[in-house]
Amino acid sequence: MTAPPLDDVALDHTAQNDPAVRTAQEDRLRAVWKPPAGLFLRWSDVNNNRVGIWYTLTAFVFMLFAGVLALVMRAQLAVPDNDLVSANTFNQLFTLHGSMMMFLFAVPMFEAVSIILLPQLLGARDLPFPRLSAFGYWSFLIGGVFVGGSIFFNVAPDGGWFMYPPLTTRTDLSGLGADIWMLGLSFIEVSSVAAAVELIVGVLKCRPPGMRLNLMPLYAWYILVVAVMILFAFPPLIAGDVLFEMERLLDWPFFDAARGGDPLLWQHLFWIFGHPEVYIIFLPSIALFAMLIPTFSQRHLLGYPWIVLAAVGTAFLSFGLWVHHMFATGLPKISLAFFSAASEAVAIPTGVQIFCFIATLWAGRVIWSTPLLYATGSLAIFVIGGLTGVMVAVAPFDWQAHDTYFIVAHLHYVLLGGTLLPLFGGLYYYWPLVTGKKLSDRLGRIAFWVMFAGANLAFFPMHFSGLMGMPRRVFTYPAELGLGGLNMASTIGAFLFAAGVALVCVDLCLSPTRKKGKRNPWNAGTLEWLAHPEDEDWGIRSVPLIESRYPIWDQPGFVEKVDEGRFFLPDAEEGRRETIVTTVLDARPLQVVRLGTPSFKPMFTAIALGGVFILTTYHLYWAALGCGVTTLAMILWWLWTGTAEIPEKAGKSIGHGLTIPLYISGPSSSGWWAMFITMMADATAFSGLVFGYYFFWTIHPEFPPAGPGMDGPGAFWPMAALALVLAGWAATLVARIIHARGQVSAARGLLAFGILASLASLAAGLAGPWLTDLRPTLHVYPAIVWTLAIWTTAHSGIGAIMQAYALARSLAGRMPPAYDADLHNITVYQHFLALTAIVAYATIGLFPAAA
Amino acid sequence: MSRPLFRSAAPALFACLAGCNMHQSTLAPFGRDAADIRGMTLLLVGGAVVIFLGVAALVVAAMRAPAGRLTHDGGMRLVLWAGGIVPTVVLGALLVWTLPAMRPAPATPADLRVALVGEQFWWRVAYRPPNRPPVVSANELRLPVGRTVVLELGAGDVIHSFWVPGLAGKMDMIPGRTNRLVVRADKAGRYRGVCAEFCGLSHALMAFDVVAMPPAAFDAWLAAEARPAAPVASAPGAALFTANGCGGCHAVRGTAGTGSIGPDLTHFGARATLAAGILPMTTANVARFVRDAGSVKPGARMPAFRHLSPGDTQAIARYLESLK
Amino acid sequence: MKRGIGHRVRELKVTLWTLIVPPTLWAAHFLFSYLWAAISCEKVGYFARFPITFAVGTGLALVLIVASGLIAWAQTRTPGTPAPHDGGTDIDRLRFIAYSTMLLAGLSFVAVVFTAIPVMLIGDCR
Repeated sequence: MTAPPLDDVALDHTAQNDPAVRTAQEDRLRAVWKPPAGLFLRWSDVNNNRVGIWYTLTAFVFMLFAGVLALVMRAQLAVPDNDLVSANTFNQLFTLHGSMMMFLFAVPMFEAVSIILLPQLLGARDLPFPRLSAFGYWSFLIGGVFVGGSIFFNVAPDGGWFMYPPLTTRTDLSGLGADIWMLGLSFIEVSSVAAAVELIVGVLKCRPPGMRLNLMPLYAWYILVVAVMILFAFPPLIAGDVLFEMERLLDWPFFDAARGGDPLLWQHLFWIFGHPEVYIIFLPSIALFAMLIPTFSQRHLLGYPWIVLAAVGTAFLSFGLWVHHMFATGLPKISLAFFSAASEAVAIPTGVQIFCFIATLWAGRVIWSTPLLYATGSLAIFVIGGLTGVMVAVAPFDWQAHDTYFIVAHLHYVLLGGTLLPLFGGLYYYWPLVTGKKLSDRLGRIAFWVMFAGANLAFFPMHFSGLMGMPRRVFTYPAELGLGGLNMASTIGAFLFAAGVALVCVDLCLSPTRKKGKRNPWNAGTLEWLAHPEDEDWGIRSVPLIESRYPIWDQPGFVEKVDEGRFFLPDAEEGRRETIVTTVLDARPLQVVRLGTPSFKPMFTAIALGGVFILTTYHLYWAALGCGVTTLAMILWWLWTGTAEIPEKAGKSIGHGLTIPLYISGPSSSGWWAMFITMMADATAFSGLVFGYYFFWTIHPEFPPAGPGMDGPGAFWPMAALALVLAGWAATLVARIIHARGQVSAARGLLAFGILASLASLAAGLAGPWLTDLRPTLHVYPAIVWTLAIWTTAHSGIGAIMQAYALARSLAGRMPPAYDADLHNITVYQHFLALTAIVAYATIGLFPAAA
Repeated sequence: MSRPLFRSAAPALFACLAGCNMHQSTLAPFGRDAADIRGMTLLLVGGAVVIFLGVAALVVAAMRAPAGRLTHDGGMRLVLWAGGIVPTVVLGALLVWTLPAMRPAPATPADLRVALVGEQFWWRVAYRPPNRPPVVSANELRLPVGRTVVLELGAGDVIHSFWVPGLAGKMDMIPGRTNRLVVRADKAGRYRGVCAEFCGLSHALMAFDVVAMPPAAFDAWLAAEARPAAPVASAPGAALFTANGCGGCHAVRGTAGTGSIGPDLTHFGARATLAAGILPMTTANVARFVRDAGSVKPGARMPAFRHLSPGDTQAIARYLESLK
Repeated sequence: MKRGIGHRVRELKVTLWTLIVPPTLWAAHFLFSYLWAAISCEKVGYFARFPITFAVGTGLALVLIVASGLIAWAQTRTPGTPAPHDGGTDIDRLRFIAYSTMLLAGLSFVAVVFTAIPVMLIGDCR
């Protein structure tokens, strides 16, 4: 069944004219979307409106906590030679402040807000994988409490949020904190990538019919771009984490110069993540501007394609900036110059966005309001941060400013103006959407001015203290430097800012005492404002046909038609949670997808996976292995019972004469996209490891080095492993093709062969370094070869599990030829596995001879 | 703010800021690179202020304009010019202007080389004048005014960063790598440098003195620094120094002490500060540091000598101070 | 029937994948420049002042970016719908992606030129 062109659909509203029909539909929808109740059961909820709120609140609490840590630091630095806290405590404070704000507030907050908003913006009942959102949330909560709570036991990480080795990898110089950082945050990175997959598939596949790419709300564009950035930015850090923990736990010398390692490799991997990260947390806030500025200008946003240009352009350029954090590391000046150039180029798309907003305000009828106050105020702060950003992109200036309080000033201007204050603006703007009540305009404005004054008083003087010679990350400074006055000003400013945040919290706490307001209180034009103050859990009454970027403004009778169920999918006849999957470019309806229902499986899986990371921190390897096996079992159980379900009928009417399938497989299904996107992230992490191999080749005149324990793995075993991987890949591919033609038994045979080939490739891949006696603690060469071999063979092992899963599904009768999504999805995995194996085995097997 | 007031206030503000701290500030340079960068800084700041005011004026105008004052086409022209073309031209010009400034100053083999190695939390210093044996020192860098000096920066344990704000931009010290920084001091005086890369517990307590001297005075000083310590065998502190094994970590050339784990102390008494630039050189301070280095400098590798009597530590301190 | 080049260009429909062609070209050029400089500095110790590989790579990147920009520009003029071209039709969607691609080509062009400037202004590896 192909997607029907919507141009031919004539909306026929007569069926919905009868109020009794509508009430019956509403009752069914309400029953289907009823949240689990009860003290215990309620935590099994997976609906985006609840998980999103838990997520947001948790991230908000982590932000407050990290803010308090900053206040302690500012108190310590208020006067010179102070001894309020010890050096040890101070180092934990600034490490945790930075790490929590980045990993436990900024990124999760964007994902949390998106989990709430995105389905509303896209007129979807929920995101495509509600249970995945819940899994991400529980992982985030466990990991966040683990990392943040460590400070109460005086074992918080103390190596800085950038964790530069060898300070952090030498176990005589750093303790448990480094492991907590590395493993706890790796866990959270996994959940961030999971959320990114969810958001990308959500934007690409779950838009309402008719919402073509050019009609998408700009927030969705930004989310798409940012989620893709997460996909490419986080994996290099995960690769770095792998190397880092191998060094800490197994003494493999990736960053130990004495044994051929290089501390700079970590800096590369960290900042390939770290710089895009800045834009990952900045763009979603700009996305909030792109939603609220048209509302308060009462007109369409000017320059829609320009904003898309800016978002996509920033995303790309942000991956060419990482070395500007390494300007002082002594790299060749020509290398620095490339990054200096890219760092300046990235200012262009940033400027374009800002001028689109200014032009929109100029052209429209400006309605002064609290959210707009936050938007303009944060714009002012952000522009200052952006301009100092252009200054530090100039390498000679950066050689002076780098690692001083000038940078502290710069980054806080960027992050307050580009993330925190816009989020508060978003809070005032979207609070009525979530609760049906407005926050207090008066308190909001007072809080804004207190925060605005506090931010400038805290951070503006830091420009001067930095240029006057105050380095970062110092727990004290001598009085003779004359920095006391500036630091006192910063401290007062910080507490003032905190007072402003406290006012916002007071405003939030007063909200339950206030009466519900009217619907769409700002008179906005975008879909999310269909939300009713008396919120229903079904998300949207009927999935609308979109013909404009601002349908509430432009499409006549739009709100009534949605409310009366006159659009698509107004009912839940079969008592199932459903939403519509559409095509990527033109949003033609493709499928009615059945969504996951409340379940504890996501939570238990998160607990088991958390066990793997947390127990490894304490070197409880057997227990960690047990948790790993439990995690795998949980995932298989979750997939077996909850995905690729064969529907009771082939298709379903969504109204207006459209009948679309209940099951699709292959590239048009959301599951296929999720697998494809996950594997993109996986391949990126792998490329980080391969980068490590060639990086070591670059810095060593002789690589591989000669000597006992370093002569391997030879060409034979890697090539044998490669041949076996390719055999397993071909078997899976052919199995998919002939299975679709109905040759089920032959396909099963091929899958069984594929399992054997994958397992054999696992053994052959490890045999190379094992039989040639490569000793990974001796030198970085054997260490990186082992790492590549283990990575690739582990993927072969997972490949075998997937093949076995598909075989079992087939044998259990859950995968007949017409319902072969599982087989399609594991084939995608096999494509990536084959690619990984080609690169890995060619590198370790053939490159030594070529080099 | 009225304009005349602003005109008189701005230089005054800068003078005060620079005047508050003349020996560890990028705004009070004594070296060629730092002076060049300060000039660049002032221009960059000026440009940033102009752009900020321009954007702010546009925002205010946009807020106040009645609806429809700006047409769609007019708005797109604003985005194209103010958001696209003008930034491209300005940034391109900035790039062409600043990139050549990245080139390091030329150095010849005849120039003095100084090897500096960062340790937790102090500095090894070795002067390598051309055609002469190296001269080992610690925690103080002396430079001849007007001469080009090549600094060779390394690290012993973890990453540090060498930063003398008044001299030049910073350069990291990374284990396994040697970074070069070519500098020239232009103004004699006593200045201060610090470690700028977080390096552990006492990162904040890792500084050093920089003394820029007229070339002739520098040459004389270097010749003196190359000589072993003057024999003061009669001092009781010397015997205690030896008896307590201090020489196992610290070298005092001309004595039995030849260790290289801690700073070289041959001419310790001639330095103005101790413990890597954090305490003035007084007998009491030296004695305190000897007794319990970790209380002055958390994480320092020097063990505590609390079992020594105050008299003994005083004697050791007096001995060390006498090593001029 | 012989078809004009303009017609063929319009046949090459822009999609979400073609949207990212110009910035991907920038990324490829950037990575090439960085790796080329880093590896020649580490392995050779210097790089030639106007190395032919770099000039060819930069020229190629610029030509491809301009080409993708021109194709996109041709498609921004696809006739058939009234201004302001922000409606829910196939043509408006096409025009939108084409216009965004064209803008991205402009940005990518500037970014490639910016990347090339250092090679002209900085002569060696120090």
